[in-house]
Amino acid sequence: MTRALKSLFTVSNGLFVVFLLIQLLPNRAGGRIADKPLYTVALVSVLEVFLLTSGFFVKKKELRNVISDIIGFVYIVLIFWVLATVKLNVVSNAKSAVFPPPGAVLAQFVSDIKITVTNVRDSLDLVFRGYLLAMITAIPLGLILGWNVRVGAAATYITKFLSSISPLVYTPYAIVLLPSFRAASIFVIFVASFWPTLAGTMSGVLNVEKNIIDSAKTLSVGRVTMLSRVVLPASLPQVFIGCNQGLSISFILLVSAEMIGARSGIGYYVNNYVNFGNYTSALAGVFVIGIVVSVITFFFNLLQRFLLRWKKR
Amino acid sequence: MVKIDIRNLCAEYTDKKGTFLALKDVSFDVKNGEFVSVIGSSGCGKSTLLGVLQGLKFPSAGEAAIDGKPITGPGADRSVVFQNYSLFPWMSARSNISFAVKQVRKGLTRAQRNEIAQRYLSKVGLSDFGQKYPSQLSGGMQQRVAIARALAMDTDILLMDEPFGAIDAKNRSGMQELLLSLWEGDDTREKKTVVFVTHDIDEAIFLSDRIVMLSNSPGSVYKIMEIPFGRPRNHPQIIKTDAYHKLRDELFSLFYHNVGENIGGNEVVI
Repeated sequence: MTRALKSLFTVSNGLFVVFLLIQLLPNRAGGRIADKPLYTVALVSVLEVFLLTSGFFVKKKELRNVISDIIGFVYIVLIFWVLATVKLNVVSNAKSAVFPPPGAVLAQFVSDIKITVTNVRDSLDLVFRGYLLAMITAIPLGLILGWNVRVGAAATYITKFLSSISPLVYTPYAIVLLPSFRAASIFVIFVASFWPTLAGTMSGVLNVEKNIIDSAKTLSVGRVTMLSRVVLPASLPQVFIGCNQGLSISFILLVSAEMIGARSGIGYYVNNYVNFGNYTSALAGVFVIGIVVSVITFFFNLLQRFLLRWKKR
Repeated sequence: MVKIDIRNLCAEYTDKKGTFLALKDVSFDVKNGEFVSVIGSSGCGKSTLLGVLQGLKFPSAGEAAIDGKPITGPGADRSVVFQNYSLFPWMSARSNISFAVKQVRKGLTRAQRNEIAQRYLSKVGLSDFGQKYPSQLSGGMQQRVAIARALAMDTDILLMDEPFGAIDAKNRSGMQELLLSLWEGDDTREKKTVVFVTHDIDEAIFLSDRIVMLSNSPGSVYKIMEIPFGRPRNHPQIIKTDAYHKLRDELFSLFYHNVGENIGGNEVVI
């Protein structure tokens, strides 16, 4: 019993109590946007219930620690956010429109949830088209360039040069050359994820253990088998590093890509509300993007762990 | 009948410091079904010699031929066991074998290949480890899988580059006996021709029909010795005989004489 009691004294649980205590402080007058504290308290309570019960459905201690740390981080952000806005009102009233309190953003998120889902779906459609197009071109090209030692050395520098150019530079050319605005948006995502994937694949190929290649050569494997069954799996760890970078950059550029003329999508949503000065909705959109990226990263990591299960851990 | 014919073979070796001659005028042959060990101190070019036979390195002069045809690259008539990294870490033990079988023996179904892989895994005592990845196996187990893979490919020639070099002394003798029992086999099939590179003199005596000793820098044939013991060989019995000790003493004195010569000539320090 005492052990169970002791296990409650964690940093995250302490932060939960701190958050509730802060709610008791008086609000400071001012601030253009009214807070809706019930939403924040509800969110924090749901997180705390999840945290306290996580022991029942998460068996691994490491994973429980990760959950606890993430929730603790959310508490810290919310504590500072509530303090800075409703409780202390640190910015002048004239600027407070840019700093909505967390309850207002959460309320906006809840009331916009239907529109958000449609927007997220449209955005994911865009990102995945651009991203998958980059994968299916960059990985084979990286394999071939990296395998061809002479071209590979030059390609490393050329890739460095080209990848340093912001994909947004290509936007006007894409709009002029491609049939639709949507195609131009996809192109921006494609270019953004293409270079890191290509660079990762090439460096993976160039670093494959020479003995592995020799072993494959003594089996007299053909060229295609060599690339697909030996070189690709051998360089897969670094291919994944490139793919991960590509995925991050895709989402960073989503807002820019959807500026090109999209009429829907979460990037468009954020951009639209920023233009109208509605930062409550814009921030709600930013959090949606963050959550979507986290969920995708989670599944991406699962896939990576499965495909690299042969590696020594 | 001569299986492998090496004539006046010269080969160069290139590393960061430059290109130097690794092998100079090496000539010997290996008969069909013969087990020949190549010994010499490290850096004497024995691995370069095996590289030429594998088809991974090319001679700068002279030639190496199999069945009278010069070697132009790797071929389906040879299988190789390296000291390490023979296996692909992303394939299970069984997939490693069946993948190799697929490359050299076309026309087998997947089920047939898997059946072959399983049969050879059990020959090396690993029938329960087919699903394991190399990283989940010990170094000795990995080498047993590598040997199973080489034998499953059922090639005429088996090339082994210090296959037990990274295995501790206790397990090494078990591996040597396993290799011999698999190679000596059940006499119903023709024996494979083996070229076995090692720096372990005892290992070479126990395994081989003949030993080719290379001298240092550049490697050239210093001495070729017949090993008179019959087969199947029994290690504990052989080491009790006077013939074994005479042979061993002779090889050791040749080996160190050769090394001493080089040091005396102020050329090589090992």
